[in-house]
Amino acid sequence: MSESGAPVLGGGERWQELAREAARRRDVAAESVDLVQLLTFELAGAPYALPVERVREIVRIRPITPVPRMPAHVCGVVSLRGEIVQVLDLRRCLGLPPATPTRASRIVVVHGSEGGVAGLLVDGVTEVFSAAEDTLRPASGEGGVEALCARAETFVSLIGLDRVLGFDGQ
Amino acid sequence: MARRRSRSRAGSKADQEFVSEAEEILERVRLDLADLRDQQARGTEVAPDLVNRLFRSAHSLKGLAGLFGFQPIHDLAHHLEDVLDALRLGKLVLHASAVDLVDRSVQLFSALLEAVGDDAALAAAAEPVPELIRGIEGVKQPPEAPSEAFAGLDVNPSLMRALTEYEEHRLRENLRRGRHILLADATFEIISFEDGLSELSAALREVGEVISTLPAPGESSDAQIRFSLLVGSDLPGDEVASRLDFPDTSIRSIRSGTEAPAPEPGSGPPVAEEPPPLADLRDLESLKSISETVRVDIRKLDELMNLVGELVIQRGMLSELIARLSGDAQTVRIGNELSKLHKVLDRKLRELQAAVLDVRMVPLRQVFEKISRVVRRLRHELDRDARLELRGADTELDKLIVEELVDPLMHIVRNALDHAIEPPDERRAAGKEPQGSIRIEAFQRGNHVVISVSDDGRGIDLEALRERARSQGLVPPDEVPSDRETLDLIFAPGLTTRSEVTETSGRGVGLDVVRHNLTLLGGAVDVESTPGRGTTFLLTLPITLAIVQSLVVAVGAQRFAIPLTAVHETLLVEPTDIQRSEGRELLNLRGEALLLRRLAREFGLPEADPDGRRFAVVMGLGDARVGLLVDRLDGQQDTVIKPIQGPIAAVRGVAGATELGGQEPVLVLDVSAFLAEALGRREAA
Repeated sequence: MSESGAPVLGGGERWQELAREAARRRDVAAESVDLVQLLTFELAGAPYALPVERVREIVRIRPITPVPRMPAHVCGVVSLRGEIVQVLDLRRCLGLPPATPTRASRIVVVHGSEGGVAGLLVDGVTEVFSAAEDTLRPASGEGGVEALCARAETFVSLIGLDRVLGFDGQ
Repeated sequence: MARRRSRSRAGSKADQEFVSEAEEILERVRLDLADLRDQQARGTEVAPDLVNRLFRSAHSLKGLAGLFGFQPIHDLAHHLEDVLDALRLGKLVLHASAVDLVDRSVQLFSALLEAVGDDAALAAAAEPVPELIRGIEGVKQPPEAPSEAFAGLDVNPSLMRALTEYEEHRLRENLRRGRHILLADATFEIISFEDGLSELSAALREVGEVISTLPAPGESSDAQIRFSLLVGSDLPGDEVASRLDFPDTSIRSIRSGTEAPAPEPGSGPPVAEEPPPLADLRDLESLKSISETVRVDIRKLDELMNLVGELVIQRGMLSELIARLSGDAQTVRIGNELSKLHKVLDRKLRELQAAVLDVRMVPLRQVFEKISRVVRRLRHELDRDARLELRGADTELDKLIVEELVDPLMHIVRNALDHAIEPPDERRAAGKEPQGSIRIEAFQRGNHVVISVSDDGRGIDLEALRERARSQGLVPPDEVPSDRETLDLIFAPGLTTRSEVTETSGRGVGLDVVRHNLTLLGGAVDVESTPGRGTTFLLTLPITLAIVQSLVVAVGAQRFAIPLTAVHETLLVEPTDIQRSEGRELLNLRGEALLLRRLAREFGLPEADPDGRRFAVVMGLGDARVGLLVDRLDGQQDTVIKPIQGPIAAVRGVAGATELGGQEPVLVLDVSAFLAEALGRREAA
């Protein structure tokens, strides 16, 4: 299947399914411990995460129309089944070096805090896991990373979604 | 835009109007008739509303034909009306031969309508009319013996005297079935009684049939109005009363139901399946005013749409002006005042836009009806037995989308019938019911309407599809696409999964065209399939569709759309035509200086060849004009301008985005912003 071929609608369905499953598990687990479901993905070789509840869908990379006069961290707009949605380059939002999207790249479509949606361009989606809320360590600084979470041997950086969406490129 | 009007070859405008209106009525009759046959086949009680609707349709048709002077159609409709009236009043038993007559009448009407505009053909088509009328006369039976007075009903006799013949019939019918007869007395404030009454009626219909709604006799104060509702229900009065909690309403039994209802072959659910669309009070009057609708040419709606669109653009100009007034200390006060007015204007304009859009909305019912007719025909031609289930016929969509939807939907349904549903013996061998099933369901989801077409046929053979795609070079030989990706290949251009060509499904024109056409409408199509179990196509379409003609232009590789309402003309510009004055580029346009802007520079895009020839799009609103220089013109297209969603505020110069069939959205330019910028700069200069 070529990247430029027909749209792979619902390309993120497997992930959505995983996310739903995880959400079901959480419903059971939440009674005892406060768990948060995290979708992890990669940016410049490092793991990052978002709360699953903020993720609407994950789609394959598709042609992005650049929008002039927009800040540099906005890649442009894509069509999601007829909806026109801005896509932000999450690398740039976090001050990481920009890179050309690859086949593994995905657009994570997230819910904004005020009902809107936005696409986030990531290098590749990895997994969904649940973390106890009390294991999250607040990150220092004003950047896009809100907290750190230990996962096996590594630390996963939890994205502060509202900070990222509020980022105006300055 | 070339649009299909009526199918008829009718000549004069009056003829055309008659035919299109009559066809609409006939469509409704066909649909109701199909429902009626269904209900009969299931052995359920035929919903009284259905017969009422049929009666009203015949009545409308009669009136219409009389108005336009089509005597044979008028006569036939008149007799049909008589029969249907007898049926709805219970004077005639609804048996197969009566239904057949209605059916034959519908066919004859179709033939007559086809012939309108050609007098000889019309006379020929009218030949069978007298015979059919004799047939209709033949089924009229002597009216049923006047039944027992409604003795034993504990109710004010003046109320009973107010019942119409039809209502008496329904009351008798409910008594015969041994139902409880209830009387609900309710008092409403006069100013809001319509809402209260329709709420109460709706609630009562949940538990039974509302036989009659009458203003209650006597004692209402000036500000109040009382109604008595006569209800037939399987539940006793006290139970209904305890279920419904309405203020100032009393419900009591005026006759208890009998233990065993009168035997009725396969008596099904007693309540009519669909509630009547109007409040009961209006329903009573509806025989007087047959229709409260006005037929409007869709082009007039387009004009309205465009006017509203232009107003929206003017509003944009206004806000630019306000920004300038508010930014200047001397005019800041007047700017603020204007800004308040602007907010109100803005809100009203949005409402106007929504209202105009709403007028364009039509239910899917007609499309569904067309499909069910085709399926009925194909069942014979293809010798496939499949049941067609239709749901959500009331779902509304833009009229234009509905028109464009027929072909793609038909294509998918034909495919299902022709390829997916197996022959009966093959189905039996697979342990399925011999009769296949195709189910079309429409529902609204947010700003979209989803239409799903499911069959319980053999499903899509993914292995065969992969093989075929490989052999046709759609997939590289070393790649193994996932199931999902493979399934998506059925939308790839040129792919067919069956080698033989049939008349029904044809070849060449395939699902790729379906997908393409839906994309043009701003929609999408998706497929899910389970081998051996069936296939589901999901069509997603935008509900609101403001189609705007746009000029598509390009700078380098990127295309942009400019609403045609703002484009005056386009010119081929040689580099030598461009003059310079005070750092601005100008063009001599028939003696006037036209200010030029280069889209590439405005948007920071690479310009193909700054000194090559290019095109100027002369855009303007009111008296303001500006020439936008672009590399290429890519023709005109119908576009749907959609808002851009996302966290970053809209940028100046971009009004939204549209899809032109490709996957990537194309930005739509905001002409007013360009004009304001260009002219603003001129003033500043």
